[in-house]
Formats: sequence, structure tokens, C-alpha cells
Amino acid sequence: MDAAARPAVVIDNGTGYSKLGFSGNSEPCFTIPTVVAVNESFLDQSEMCSSANWIAQYNAGVMADLDFFIGDEALSQFKSSGLYSLKHPIHHGQVDDWDTMERFWQQCIFNYLRCNPEEHYFLLTDSPVSTPESRECTGEIMFETFNVPGLYISVQSVLSLSAGYAFLKSISDEDSVSASDMTGVVVDIGDGAPHVVPVVNGYVIGSSIKSFPFSGSDITQFVLQLLQERGELIPPEDSLDIARKVKEMHCYTSSDIVKEFKKHDKKPDKYVKQWSAIKPKTGVPYTIDIGYERFLGPEIFFNPEIYSADFSTPLPELIDSCVQSAPIDTRRALYKNIVLSGGSTMFKDFHKRLQNDIKKIVDERVAATNARHHVEVKPVEVNVVAHPIQSYAVWFGGSVAASNPEFYESCHTKEEYEEHGASICRTSTVFKGMH
Amino acid sequence: MILLQSPSRFLLQILQDRVLSGDKGVDIDCHTVEFDDVRYHIQFSLRNPKVMVLSVALPLPPPEAVLYDGLPLGAIEAIKAAYGLVVQILDPPKDGFDLTMKINLTKLPPDEEQRNAVLTQIASVREVVLGAPLKLLLKHLASRTVAPNVDKLVALVHRPNESFFVAPQADKVTVVYPMRFQDSIDIVLATSFLQEFVEARRTAALNNAPSCMWSPAPPLELKGVPSDALNANAGFVTFVVFPRHVEGKKLDKTVWSLLTFHAYVSYHVKCSEGFMHTRMRRRVESLIQALDRAKSDAEKLKKLVHGGSFKRLSLKNGSNSRH
Repeated sequence: MDAAARPAVVIDNGTGYSKLGFSGNSEPCFTIPTVVAVNESFLDQSEMCSSANWIAQYNAGVMADLDFFIGDEALSQFKSSGLYSLKHPIHHGQVDDWDTMERFWQQCIFNYLRCNPEEHYFLLTDSPVSTPESRECTGEIMFETFNVPGLYISVQSVLSLSAGYAFLKSISDEDSVSASDMTGVVVDIGDGAPHVVPVVNGYVIGSSIKSFPFSGSDITQFVLQLLQERGELIPPEDSLDIARKVKEMHCYTSSDIVKEFKKHDKKPDKYVKQWSAIKPKTGVPYTIDIGYERFLGPEIFFNPEIYSADFSTPLPELIDSCVQSAPIDTRRALYKNIVLSGGSTMFKDFHKRLQNDIKKIVDERVAATNARHHVEVKPVEVNVVAHPIQSYAVWFGGSVAASNPEFYESCHTKEEYEEHGASICRTSTVFKGMH
Repeated sequence: MILLQSPSRFLLQILQDRVLSGDKGVDIDCHTVEFDDVRYHIQFSLRNPKVMVLSVALPLPPPEAVLYDGLPLGAIEAIKAAYGLVVQILDPPKDGFDLTMKINLTKLPPDEEQRNAVLTQIASVREVVLGAPLKLLLKHLASRTVAPNVDKLVALVHRPNESFFVAPQADKVTVVYPMRFQDSIDIVLATSFLQEFVEARRTAALNNAPSCMWSPAPPLELKGVPSDALNANAGFVTFVVFPRHVEGKKLDKTVWSLLTFHAYVSYHVKCSEGFMHTRMRRRVESLIQALDRAKSDAEKLKKLVHGGSFKRLSLKNGSNSRH
């Protein structure tokens, strides 16, 4: 059996979570936090690269370079023993620390997936605004260290689109979903930098990519801030963790904040939720109330000024300006297919609120055109697509793409790497307009 | 992680999640592949919430290793002994697989620790099935006898189309591995690793470990084996296992370590390559720092304005230049 006959390995590395699995499956095998706990207790922090450090490292234990954990194990090791420090290799969707990233991949492949990298083609994902150098570094690590036979580095947005398309196709009976559904705006909001990316016929329009500065971790921060401002007693060592769980379980998107405030005030027992847990240090149980945070958290997307004074463009306006900056003949198709992906888009009714807000902006513009030019322009259809696999839509799109027999031909192969070097990974066929 | 673990992490996770979810949850239909071409297919449907079906495919056997009905010698007995009533072997196995088992979740022990032990054992199905013939030979070693009807030299499946050789005797068992690697760099690193392996065995702390030898040519124990089974580009490793290595609980660990020796070496070769990359990157960092120090201040100001050609995407400076 050669590598093309085996399923490909699909790894989606995000700022918060990494999704790993094999192509052909409908969900990832593992979803683990993108974090590595390393033991640097022997490293002298003031010096970086002196030979004395290598001797110290050798003496600390010949296996010191393997003394690290990733994912959930890293978080629990960090909490339980003071020896380990946490490192996040990915910030805002891009890899900062290649050493840590290489170690992370090494453990993903050998400890979690337990596959032999020489026997599988790999599909990795990359942010739409990443640099060609980072793709080159990725290719170098994959081909040199892991000897993969073939590698494809794809753009996350295109995979989200194909995930939406594949999902709609699987639930619809007739062939109502046409092939032109590789056109759409992808709103990808995860833990790293959210992007609004327009894709036309599988080709990303790089100049129209807009980014939104607040992501899932900012919402967690905001929820925590609101809880603490109100005086809820939260143990400080767990605070971010608790805020994140509160956000995931109880937050929802409202249609109008003034009305929501009134609803909460009128019927507190219906809307105010309780959260009970045990303090880790003392073992004493405690409860906190969760009230306005439930709808104020996701409200950041629609009214960013409640969180920070620096940025005040709401997300619907950003999406609208993104479509308006795209070529004029693609705009209707883009409005018709706005696809959500990423964990932070999973708030209840998020897509409805987004659709209503964008429709308002678009309808206003159509009405103004009608009034000024005395014509009747066909109303623009705005459609925000939501589906249950949003949180791992990118991985699912990768799994679908890698199950396609043409995938193996579009990968960069080891032979090409040995012939031309790591620069083959710089370009992505998606940006060249070939698909 | 220094040693490869026996249970498949993914299978264990699925089994534990399923047991905890009870009657809720979603249908599962997952294919995974492990190193050396072992494929798993696990299925679960909410229509039949008490049953899970696990299919295993084994690597393609080399011509000198003998399989009975597609499974290694003693595999079926080993499965029955390890799992009891929890698992029922389905005959014939599913299309494309060598073994299909039906796992009955109601037959799991109610005590949580015992249940987890059984689930871990089910996730280690690879060790049970592929390790059955080796376990048989080593069990006889523990009782200082030789298994009946066994040749002087036995070939067992190690990797797709590759085997390793076991020469069982009453007081010791000799295991010989022809080591093959695909990539030229891997061959060199593996050869040094294996030679170091033999050296490390000589340190005083490891006196009780099985003795270990490496040679570039086939050792004498392999006389008579067809030559295409003997082409090894990273030499031959020989272990001599004594009865004290297979007593009691050590038997399972010894079987797993011997069964997956090539994967272990391959993993450590890749880790070494990764570590060398770390050292290379740090070296480049320090050279860039030295170059930066050599420039005069006026030049540095000019460089900052134009974007800096020496400012390559280094570990610490990368984030500053972007934000």
C-alpha cells in the first residue's frame, strides 16, 4: 500500500485549539488546546545560547528534550507541578515559535495519531494572512524532520467554504446546491484573529480581507471583567477557565440589547443563571450569578465600543465593507453565501442577528439607490449560513478535500522538495487563481 | 514521551466517551491508521446503544511469516483470554479487515477502575493480536521450556512485508531485527542511534536489561534465511531475553517493546532531527545577533526604515515586527 492509498492526515492548527484526524472521517480524532508545557527548570534565563547551557541540559537528563507535554496534559501538568511553563506556539493565527510548533507536531503525530508520517500525505491549514516564509518553514519541518511524502498547505477560509457546501449537499435532496457555492464570504472567528475573507470560485481575493480585532479570548476576558466588576467572587487561579466555561454554556446573542436589559430586569429568575463550582485551593463550594454577561459577551461583535474604545466598526458593517471592496460582479453571490466558521460563531442566534444587521445595511443602500436614480433595483438577498459543524468546519473541509482523488496530485511532494527546496511551499494554488 | 504506549489513544478515548454517554450521543463511524499499516474501524449506532463494532486490519505479512486464517498464531485464543465475554469475534471479518469484534458494553465490570482497565486492554488489541505468537514463546521461556512444534528460528510479522526473527531456547530467547529505513538521513541517524544503544547497555545501571548487539552483517542465528529477508540498510540488532525479563507483569511490556522496536527507533530518530533543528535555529539566531552588533547605528536606523534584510523571521523578533 503506498501513501496515496492511505487516508491523508488532516491537521488544523488554530490559536486556541488544534484539530487532528484522518481524511474521510466526519469529525476530528482529537481536539486539543494548542499549548506545550516545557520543562525549563535547568535553563538559566539570563543567557540564551552559551555552551554551558547545553552541558547543563545534558546533565539534567539525557532525555531532557523529550520532557514536554502538549494539549490537555500540558495544562494539567502545568497546574500540578511547578516545573513546567506553558508556551503557545501560535498567536493570532500565525506561528511564532517554530521550536515549540515542531515539538507540538511531533507529539501530535507520534503520541496522539500514532501514525508513521512517512506513510501519509499531510494537509495542514494556514491563516489567509500568513506570510510565505511561514509556509516555507512549515514545509521545511514537515519534509526534513518528518519525511512526509506529500504536503498541502491550504487556506482555512476555502476549507470552511467547502465544509459548508459539503454539509448543505449532504442534507439537501435535490441538486439545489450548485457548484458556484465555492463563492462566498467566510467569517472565521476562533481564538485567534478573526477574519472576513471573500472567496470567489475558490480563489481568495487577498486585497479585500478584513480583520476584526476581537476574538473568542477577548469575549472570555470581557465576561470575566463584567463578573468581577459586579463583585462576584471568583477564585483568581481559575478565573479565565471559569469565564470561558460560562461563555460556552450560557452566552447567547440578543436581537436588541435595550429589550434584553428590560427582559432581564423584569424576570430575573428566568434569565439569571447560577454557576456552582468548588474552589480548588480550599475545597469550599461557591456559586456565582450570571446575568447581563450572557448577552453582553457576544454583543462585542455588534457594538465593539462596549469593550474597547479603539475599534468601533461592528462586524456586520465590516462584512458589508468587505463585500463592497470586492469586484462588483461578485457582490450578489457573496451576499448570498456568508459562511460562519470557528468556535466563537456558535452562540445561539448569532447567524440570525448577523443576517438581520447586514440585511438592514444592504436594504438601506438599495433604497438610497432607488431614490437617487428612480429605478427599481432587484433586492439583494443576504444569507448567513449556519451549520452544526461550525466549530471544526475548517477540519471538516480539509477531510473532504483530502478524500478527493485529485488531492494527491495537488500536493507538494518530497521529490519536488528535494529538487527545488522549501520555496515550493510559498505559493498556494488558491492565491494564483488556479483551482 | 519516551516509549510508545500500548493502547491506541483514539480507541481508548472513544470507548471511554461512549461508556460515559450512556444512551445519548451520536453515531460514530471512524477509520484510523496506526504506524506499520494497522487500520482500525470503529462503529457505533444509537439504534444499538449497547454494542460497538471494532475491526482491525493487520499489515501485509512477509512471505516467511506464517499466518493462520489471516491472523497470527494463537491470536484468537489470546483475544478470548484477554477479553472474556465482553468481546465476541465476528466471523467472517468485515470487508478489507482481518478481524472484527463486537464489544458488548453491558458486560463491562461496574467498578470504574476495573472498567477502565478492560477498556485499556481493548484499546491494546494490536498488542494482543500481533503479539500473540511472541507472547506464547516468551511465556514458555518464563517456565524455562520451549513451546512444542516450534522451529529453531521463527519469523514473525514486524512491519508490512518485513519480519523479525526469534530463536527460542529453554533458557533464553534471541530476537534479531533487520533494520531498514527509507530516507538516507534516517539510515545514518538510525545506525548511530543503534550503535549508541549498544554502548548505553554497557553502563552499570543497565546490567539487568536484555543484552544487546549490533552488527552490519546478518548474525549467525540467521543462517538459512532467504536473502531478500536479510537486506537491511541500518544493520542487525540482536536482543537476548532471559526468563527474568518475562516474569509476571513484565511479560506484556516486553512483548510490546519487542513488537514495536522499529517504530520506537524511528520515533527517536525523528525526535533527534527535531532537536537538531532547534539547535540550528538557535545558532542562526546567535549569528544574526552577532551581525546586528557589527553594524553601525546609522546603518541600523536605515535598516529599520526599509524593513531590515537581516531581520529574518526569528523566534523572538518575529512577533514585534508584525504588530
